[in-house]
Amino acid sequence: MTIENKKGWISWFNPFKYGTDRWMFALHRLTGIALGLYLIAHVWETSNILNGQVTWDKIMVDLDYPFGAHYGPFILSLILIVAVYHALNGIRLTIVENGLMLPKPYRPEFPYKAKSLRGLNNLLKIVLGIFMILISAIGVIFIFTGVIV
Amino acid sequence: MRESQIMFLQYLTGILVLVFGSFHFLLISVLSPSPEKILYIYNGANATHVLVGGTLYYTWVKAVYSSLIWGSVFELLLTFLVYHVFNGFRVILSELIPGGRAEKIITYALLVVALVVFIWGSRTVVVSLAGGL
Amino acid sequence: METLVLKGFGEVVKTVTFRVRRYDPEKKEIPKYEEYKVPVQKGMTILDGILYIKEHLDHSLSARYSCRMGICGSCGMIINGKEKLACQTQILELGKDLIKVDPMGNYGIVKDLVPELSKLFNNHQSVKPFIVREEEEPKSEFLQTPDQREKYAMFTDCILCGLCLSACPTSASDELYLGPQALAQSFRYIVDNRDLGFEERLNVVDSKHGVWRCHFSGACSEVCPKGVDPALAIQLLRKVMTTNIFVKYQQKGATRGPERKSALGVS
Repeated sequence: MTIENKKGWISWFNPFKYGTDRWMFALHRLTGIALGLYLIAHVWETSNILNGQVTWDKIMVDLDYPFGAHYGPFILSLILIVAVYHALNGIRLTIVENGLMLPKPYRPEFPYKAKSLRGLNNLLKIVLGIFMILISAIGVIFIFTGVIV
Repeated sequence: MRESQIMFLQYLTGILVLVFGSFHFLLISVLSPSPEKILYIYNGANATHVLVGGTLYYTWVKAVYSSLIWGSVFELLLTFLVYHVFNGFRVILSELIPGGRAEKIITYALLVVALVVFIWGSRTVVVSLAGGL
Repeated sequence: METLVLKGFGEVVKTVTFRVRRYDPEKKEIPKYEEYKVPVQKGMTILDGILYIKEHLDHSLSARYSCRMGICGSCGMIINGKEKLACQTQILELGKDLIKVDPMGNYGIVKDLVPELSKLFNNHQSVKPFIVREEEEPKSEFLQTPDQREKYAMFTDCILCGLCLSACPTSASDELYLGPQALAQSFRYIVDNRDLGFEERLNVVDSKHGVWRCHFSGACSEVCPKGVDPALAIQLLRKVMTTNIFVKYQQKGATRGPERKSALGVS
């Protein structure tokens, strides 16, 4: 009698030993879920603009001051970094998952390093990584200089 | 629809979300109608928030929502986002619980949630444009 | 006690511990790990180590292997957390004193290190891994230039070892997913200029658990022991699928060479 040996969903978030693309997949999925849930919260949050100034002000202050401390800017920065990562990796995936910027079929040679995970794909990762650092830095600086004066 | 068409829209809405989302981020920073282009002021000494003058102050948010251009940007962004997010959830859940009735139930349940989020978000935009509750 | 050594290898360099996941189908217990001390000689592979255990330490250990030279694709295992062919992994190259050997994931286990590969073969079969033509018995050759062959040549190296499905994160949770191996093979036949079976494969490949459930995590290409690069094939297949939305993908079918007859007059 054979038994099941599925790795299960936990291996989505187990990117060790499989290279950078697997790391980016795990982060893309994680950030995607987080941003999706954030959208639902954000739609509820912004709908309070219809409920008058008192409610709006209270929600703005409460969301900025969760768990009894001023975590607002940190949460905003995290959301920004997560969104920037998902967006920029999304650009890369839109390009490579539709077969662009990938090598033509080639002759495998020992030690069989896959070319689809390297070459232009790696260049994209580096360029978008630099963009990610720049945009995140600008955003985080804006959030912190804007909030704490 | 074929899966390839659904996923083509997934990539397309992803790019559109990026374009319209950039406007959204610009709106709360450099394009903000508030006099000081900052979110709000937090006074660390006595732990108080000063919203007046910042982007998140009621008057300025209200001003943004009553403008037709920003209203349409928000509405389009919401449409693309809801498609992208809930199709993404569908993909993840269909990989988690593949096949059979469960997958169909999940798909329709997500469709309902997506419609609720879309209507709830559109309500904010449309009612604000019409002049508030 | 004198340590037993295998013939045909160099001197004993060191002793490593093999931690092997055991499962006995007759006992109905959950799989558990057992440890064996194996003296390592120069040139010994993981498969040699497992055979040493089977010969000298525990005769009940089961593993599937055949050619011992990375051609048959029978001995896929998870070695220290990464999918590898046991016959192509040198123990000394790993540089570890503890070697964890698991059966491949995402398949069933028949016994010990023997995976149940029918899922792999069924998926492979479902994409029609052969040239689809209407004629039953072609009377002449289909012509193909070297350039046309280069388009798919690398994907014909697949040895069906099944390591890619074990490494794939989608296959880990989605048992209906075709898997990198089947998708790469479907691409290999779709771009073959002799083939006419695109429409038949479309329903399998462009389905809810077909090509679009790949998220390009690259794990399949990372572990492939023959450098087939299934991830590249899947992305190129998606290019075909995306263009197919707007412009119908056309397969012309290769032109025919001159009709030939053998000396006996039978074609």
